Formats: sequence, structure tokens, C-alpha cells
Amino acid sequence: MDAYPETPPVVVTDTVKNAIRIVALDERARARGIRLNQTLSDARALVPDLDCHAADDESNRALLLKIAGWCERYTPLVALDAAPEAERDHGLFMDITGCAHLLGGEAAMIADLEARLRAQGFHVRLCLADTPGAAWAMARYGQDRIIAEGAHAEAVLPLSLSGLRLPPAMVASLGRVGLKTIGCIAGMPRAPLAARFGARLMQRLDQALGREEEAISPIMPVAELSTERRFAEPVTHQEEISHVIAALAAGIIEPLERRGLGLRRCRLRLFRVDGHVSHLDVQTARPLRDAKMIRRLFEERIAGLHDDLDAGFGFDLIRLDVVHADPFEGAQTEMMAEMMAHHAAEQGHDALVDRLGARLGLDRVQRFVLADTHIPERSFGRQPIAHLGARSRSGSGNAALALIPEAPGEIITRPLILFDRPELMQTIAEVPDGPPLKFRWRGVSYEVARSEGPERIACEWWRDGRGARTRDYFRVEDRQGYRFWMFRHGLYGRETSDPAWYMHGLFA
Amino acid sequence: MSLSRLQTATDILKQRTRAYEAQAYQAHRGMALGDAGASQPLALGASAVDHCLEGGLVCGGLHEVRSALARDIGAAAGFALGLAARALEADRSGRSGVVWVSDPATRVDGGGLFPAGLTQYGLDPSSMTIVEPGDLQGAMWAADEAAGCNGLAALIFQIKGNPARFDITATRRLMMRARGSGVLALILRQSGEEEASAAATRWRVNTEMSGADDSLERGVGAMRLSLTLERNRAGRTGQWLLAWNPKVRSFNHAAPHPASNRVSGANPPAHSLDRLPAPANRRDSSGQMGQVLDRRQDFGRVS
Repeated sequence: MDAYPETPPVVVTDTVKNAIRIVALDERARARGIRLNQTLSDARALVPDLDCHAADDESNRALLLKIAGWCERYTPLVALDAAPEAERDHGLFMDITGCAHLLGGEAAMIADLEARLRAQGFHVRLCLADTPGAAWAMARYGQDRIIAEGAHAEAVLPLSLSGLRLPPAMVASLGRVGLKTIGCIAGMPRAPLAARFGARLMQRLDQALGREEEAISPIMPVAELSTERRFAEPVTHQEEISHVIAALAAGIIEPLERRGLGLRRCRLRLFRVDGHVSHLDVQTARPLRDAKMIRRLFEERIAGLHDDLDAGFGFDLIRLDVVHADPFEGAQTEMMAEMMAHHAAEQGHDALVDRLGARLGLDRVQRFVLADTHIPERSFGRQPIAHLGARSRSGSGNAALALIPEAPGEIITRPLILFDRPELMQTIAEVPDGPPLKFRWRGVSYEVARSEGPERIACEWWRDGRGARTRDYFRVEDRQGYRFWMFRHGLYGRETSDPAWYMHGLFA
Repeated sequence: MSLSRLQTATDILKQRTRAYEAQAYQAHRGMALGDAGASQPLALGASAVDHCLEGGLVCGGLHEVRSALARDIGAAAGFALGLAARALEADRSGRSGVVWVSDPATRVDGGGLFPAGLTQYGLDPSSMTIVEPGDLQGAMWAADEAAGCNGLAALIFQIKGNPARFDITATRRLMMRARGSGVLALILRQSGEEEASAAATRWRVNTEMSGADDSLERGVGAMRLSLTLERNRAGRTGQWLLAWNPKVRSFNHAAPHPASNRVSGANPPAHSLDRLPAPANRRDSSGQMGQVLDRRQDFGRVS
């Protein structure tokens, strides 16, 4: 508090029961006599120079998620406190089963966690206990930071009932009948309590005491495999990071082999010293088990970032997670040389798609998919290859494209190049439905030498509504040999009295 | 040391120098032609063109297809896609797929590929991979990567104008990568001028009036392209009138249209300065707008 004597006390306010009340405050505000739940007008009467901010739940949640992401340096199982009663109560659960020994034991881990969070400017209360419920209660209402194994029940008994994650109304009504601590209700007959206050009370009690299992739901899907490297001296250079990636990738090859798996998606997580965590994801088209390729994909991914990877003061932990892996088809199934060559060629193609996607972004590498409509610009779309199924990925078996009925023929009725938006032209044409004779497109006049049409494509009234018009398409060749695909929009006399003409495509 | 001994030494040196020169010549020729020994040249199907190219286009090599005007992109794309279709059909040791990389500048007035049109043209749309990077640098990188990919039949790199960044060094890199992998690499330059590049051949494509359609009096007949081989590192240049047959995926010679004043083969090449190298250090004229070019051309033709 003495560190910034000149800044006014900070409080956070929100509307509670039709009054603007204080929902959070700092030490300086507390020292000057402001309390939680005070109305803002009262607080202002006490401290006129109050620096107050409106509560912003979304930002709070975003910050909490970031902290949760950072906490994954200790364990992959980090969960937000999702209890509906804990709306304003910003807590995280971490399941550190099997992780503490990596950091020198529970006490060292907790101390490290607290020191690092404090260094980032957060005020935290921590508790380690056998059950999430007990840890929740002790972190808020208890004194001890580490509850010995099996001692959680005795530890929580003297605490206030608020420690059971109950709605405040229920705590208040329990208090009215004289039940103030967890110990009070732990020894009472269960049936009457449950009948009076609901099953929730008993469930929370059982969860705190460890009589009922409680699972936390991690914010990130747990990786199938994960390797990491910690650094005493943070790494900053691109080459160093690249080396680390290669070493990490080499480390996951052996476990993948043992399980008969190949990597499909993996995520690199870079923990910066100041608490920022960067993610880089790469995907592969087919199961991969090659450390060099993994490194190369990540290098492309880093090269494709708009601004370089911001290393700041360096990364002190780099982790490689295998998010998704598929059974690896060994090369021994295709023994014939020709098959091997084909396989290698296909691998080359898939690897290319992976590399392009990693650097340019997955949605920039696309393949055609067809839609079931006759309106030309709607009849196809382009989808990122990464989002297509593994089967339709390979050239031949694209199920969506099997729709095309026409085989190549002598007569070409569709252009090679199609404009995304048909372009308006000035045209002289025979009424009511004759071909164009002269037209002007992009500022140039053309005289029609030959034309074919119309090919009538009806509108999709179920999509475009009442005003939709029919299109009459013409193939047109001008006197210099340019071949165009254009249409008259609307039937003369029936749909419009002045049909417009549009240019839609170019033939070879 | 006696004089005769000295002469012997000089002879040996001369001999060695000659050997080196021959080697260097072979290497240079190999560079221009691509690795001719490693891959079969890709024949176009039209006899005169194939004869001029000594068998066809070199597969592991870079070729440029150019169209002077924005509206010529249909014809130029037709020629490039025809080559790609032939490369796909040739199926050299399991190569599959065509990668189409486009510079974002081409999207402004160029339009996009139409799958139904591709099918009718004899090219399976499902074999196409479309890559659309956000900037020219990304596009050049993607083209480089694709040119170096063993499993690919063809790469088409669509570019607009003559950007300064895509210079002779960039084309040489593209050529080297294509030579290593055996991919048919095509630069499709839309509304661009001729420029020195490492490409083995450079083609200019113009449209030509189609022949008469038997079934329909005023109908549009089979398409024709007027091809000018502007530059050929390994041999002669020329000009031909070709038609594309989608059914057999082959180019063939077309008879000139009676109304057309151009005569294929007989007239001198459009560019009498073909053999002169185009300058490499032209300033950056990053593809003038299609409209302006069109108008100028229009006046030229009317007069």
C-alpha cells in the first residue's frame, strides 16, 4: 500500500439489488474503512477520491482462463471453478496427482506457484487437499496451505458453512437454525437435513469430506502424449527454439512407436517468463512419425506468423503435446515397389499440403466441393483440405465431387473462369429473348459474331424469395475470338420490362 | 624443363580445359532443358509444336504462359490447364494432383476456376488443390514448395503483371526446384509483359475465332488458341493455331478460320525481336488495370 501512496484506493462496483455496491476492493480501500457490499454512495462519503470501476465479468473470465492456461505448466488438469454459486468467486482447480514430484514435492510446488503468481501481480490463496471440496473450503476459510493425506475431514469441520460451496440463501437459513459450521451438520441425521434443505447440501458435504467422488473438467483436452523441457535460463532465439522442438519431437517418436500410433495434430506451448502462453498448432494429413518433419512443420508455422513469435524475456518452459494421434499404417503392408513409389508420391503430396497449411493458414489450402444446385456461383465451394475427411482428401475418392455427371465432351457449355460476382454490362439484344448483338464490358465494346443460347436456369425461389429472376445464359463469341458466358437477368415482360445483362465467365 | 615437356604440359592443360568446358556446356544445357534424361518430355499432341520442342515440354522444368490482356486469361488458363491435364494423364510414377497457386492480385478482376468448366475441359476438379496466400511473398513461397514436391504432376502459379519481387532470381529458384522434383511448373502471367526469366519456354496465348459449327448455323464452334512460342531456350520459336480436345486430352492443329486474316505458320512471328533477351531490370510496373489495357488494345484493333 505504501508503494503507490499517490494513487487513490481502487474498488470494483456492480449493481446488486438495485443499488451500486462494491464487489471488490484493494488493501488501501480496506484500510480507509470501506467494506464489501457497501453502496458506492456510502463509500464515496467516506473516501471522496475513490477510483471505481464497473465489474466486467467477461474480462475477468478471460483473465482467469489465461491464468488457467499458464497453470498448465504444473499439470495438464486445470479446471475453472464452474459451480453456479461461485459466480463472482474466481477460483481454479488443479489436479496435481503424479505431478508434484517433478517439481520437488508438494511444498516446493505450492511455493513456486505462489511466488510466480505473486510476481505477476496476482493475490492468490492456495490450498492443497485430498478433495476439491476440502481444498476449496480451506483456501477461502482455512489457514493451512497443505492438508496432510487423510486429514482433510478434520480440517474442514471447524470451518464456516460457506465453505461448502452453497448458495448464500441456504447458508443464511442454516445459520438461522444455529448451524454455523461444517462440523455442525456433519454429525446430524442426514434425512431431515436433506428433506429440509435439499440434496445439494448433502452432496456438497460428501464431496468436501471425500465420501463422494468429484471430477474436475479440465479446460484443455488432455493430450495423449506430452513432453516438455524447462530452462534455468530462458530461451529467446529462433534457432534455440527450433533445436528444442527437434529434441522434443525426437522424444515422442519412441512412445508413438510403442503404441503403434502416428501423430495427426500436435500443439506446441511456449510459456514465457512473464506468464504469457503461446500456442502453435500443426496438423498433418496422415499419421506422422518423423521428428524432422514435425520440426519442419513448426518452423513453417512460426515463419507464417504475421509478427514473429514474441519471445519477450524468453521462454522458460516449452511443451509439445500430441493432441490427436491415429493408428500408423506401416510401410510393410505395401511391399511392391510400384506401390511404394505411389505411396511415397502421395506422401509427398500430403506433406506439401501440411506444410502449406502450417505456414499460410489451414483455410488457404483448399479443394473444390460441390453443392446440389444449378445456380453456377452456388454450385460449388472451396473448403480447406484440413477440414475435409481423410478419405476425401486423397485425390481420387472425393465423395462430394462424384456429383458431376458430365464426362468431358466435344461441346463445352461451361466456362473455365467464373467471376465470383456477375458483372453488369450494357447490352444491345433482341427482345424478348434473343441473343446479344453488341455489349460493353469493363469499358470495352464487343461485337458478337456467334452465340448459342439461351440456356435457362431458373431461380431458386425457396432461397431468394419472390423477386428472384430467371437467368438466360448465352455462350457468345466476339469478332476477335473471345468467348464469354453471359446471362440476361429476368424474363422480358413477365419478370421485368428491362432485363439487365451480366458477364459471368470466360471460356478458353 | 625442356620446351617439349612444357608443350606437353600445355596440351594437357588445354585438353582439361576443353573437357571442363564441355562439361559446363552440358550442365548449362541440362539446366535449360531440365533433366531430360530423367523424365520423358510432355508432348502437346500437335505434331508441329512437338517437333519444334524436340518431343515436347520438359517436365521437370519451368515454363511461362503469358496473356497480354486481362480478358485473355480465359485462353491462357485454357492452355495451362490443358498442359496440366496432359501431365496428370501421363501419370509418371504415381504423381497425382495439380496445385494452383494464385497471387492475391489476380483475384481482383481475374475470377476463379469453375469446377463444372474444368470437368468439361477434361480435368478432374478433385485433383486440383487451390492455394490462395494472403500476399505475393506467401504465394512465391507456396509455389516454391509445390515445385519441389515429388508427388505432384503440375504446378500452376497464377500471377498478375510483372511484380518486381518475382524477378529472375525467383524464377531460377522455381526452375531449380522443379528440375529436382520433376514437376511441370507453369507460370501463368496475366496481363503481363515479357520479361527475362529462367523459364525454359515462354508462350503467349491469344484467342482465335472458332471454326464453324456444323449443327448450328451461328453457333460457337470448337475453341481455338493462337499460340506464340516467344522464347525457347533449347530451340526454335514459332506460332501455331491449336485446338484442345477434352475427350482425349490432347492439343491438335486447327485450320484457320476463313474470316480470320491471320495465317498460322506462314506469317512471320509477331515479335521479330524474339531472340533478343528481354530486360531483367525493368522497373516495377505491377500489372496495369485491365480496363486501361483493354481500351488501348481495342483502339488498336479497330483501326
